Amino acid sequence: MLEGKNVLITGTNRGIGQAILKECAANGASVWAHARKETPEFVSLLNEVSEQYPAEIRPVYFDMTDKDAMKKAVMEIRSSKLPVDALINNAGMMHNASFQMSSEKALRDVFEVNFFATFLLTQYIANLMVRQKHGSIVTVSSMGALDGNPGKAVYGASKAALVTMSRVIANELGTQGVRSNCIAPGVIETDILQTMPESELLKAKELTPMKRTGLPDEVASVAVFLASDKSSFINGQVIRVDGGL
Amino acid sequence: MSENLEKYTNAFCQAFDIDADTAKGLKFQAIDAWDSVGHMGLVAQIEEAFDIMLEPDDIVDLNSYEKGKEILAKYNVEFA
Repeated sequence: MLEGKNVLITGTNRGIGQAILKECAANGASVWAHARKETPEFVSLLNEVSEQYPAEIRPVYFDMTDKDAMKKAVMEIRSSKLPVDALINNAGMMHNASFQMSSEKALRDVFEVNFFATFLLTQYIANLMVRQKHGSIVTVSSMGALDGNPGKAVYGASKAALVTMSRVIANELGTQGVRSNCIAPGVIETDILQTMPESELLKAKELTPMKRTGLPDEVASVAVFLASDKSSFINGQVIRVDGGL
Repeated sequence: MSENLEKYTNAFCQAFDIDADTAKGLKFQAIDAWDSVGHMGLVAQIEEAFDIMLEPDDIVDLNSYEKGKEILAKYNVEFA
């Protein structure tokens, strides 16, 4: 689905991002795989993916909150003269606290990573996409952005901000060949799930018509579809991947 | 005209299909070509001419030919 495409994915060292990396490679894409820093585990992961698939995997390291490092990374991508066919905004941080127990510091920290950094990176990459007159931006939001789930005041608000960003991009850049869509995952089996209270997890499973949590691969396949030309007339949408929750 | 000034002026000429005299003193939306879409074309021309990447805030502030020269000074582009 992504043969010949170059895709930049943020937050690929674990969870949904790692699954998206593998699914993109499996579908023929060459990937700029972003992580905050180089670790033996991440290098091992990239080697594993490179050996398994013919696609080229290029690591990109920067802290999402380090604007200078981000800009330098984007300049290196631009210098490669390769088109950025798709950007998959996945990097983010989880935060669980009730509305009244959400501190200002948490609010600022979460928005710094989940929204401000993603917004800035998307601005940089969208500028490149406009020049090349094509591109697909896929942003991993959350059902927390849509449903107002208890405990997700900060996290959900940051992810809701991404939905608005995505829809505005869809409206503003559609005529220039750039599409923008969001994915709203439900309860997915990742490390982040460990931070979810057990009672909330059980309740979520019970409420889900499919009576189970989702797998990272089930989110990744939607990300690949939205990044690909197979979704060429899908723009400004939020696709829930939540088992019908 | 210095080499940088020539490159800078040429970026306007290329982005908006205008001559150098029209470029000098030009302001955002003073001509039809310099709308929000044309603006990004101008940014692309400037970035490529000087091998830089403008900060989003500078892209927003770039509202005239003269202002652009001030902004480029931050990127060590001199027009003297």
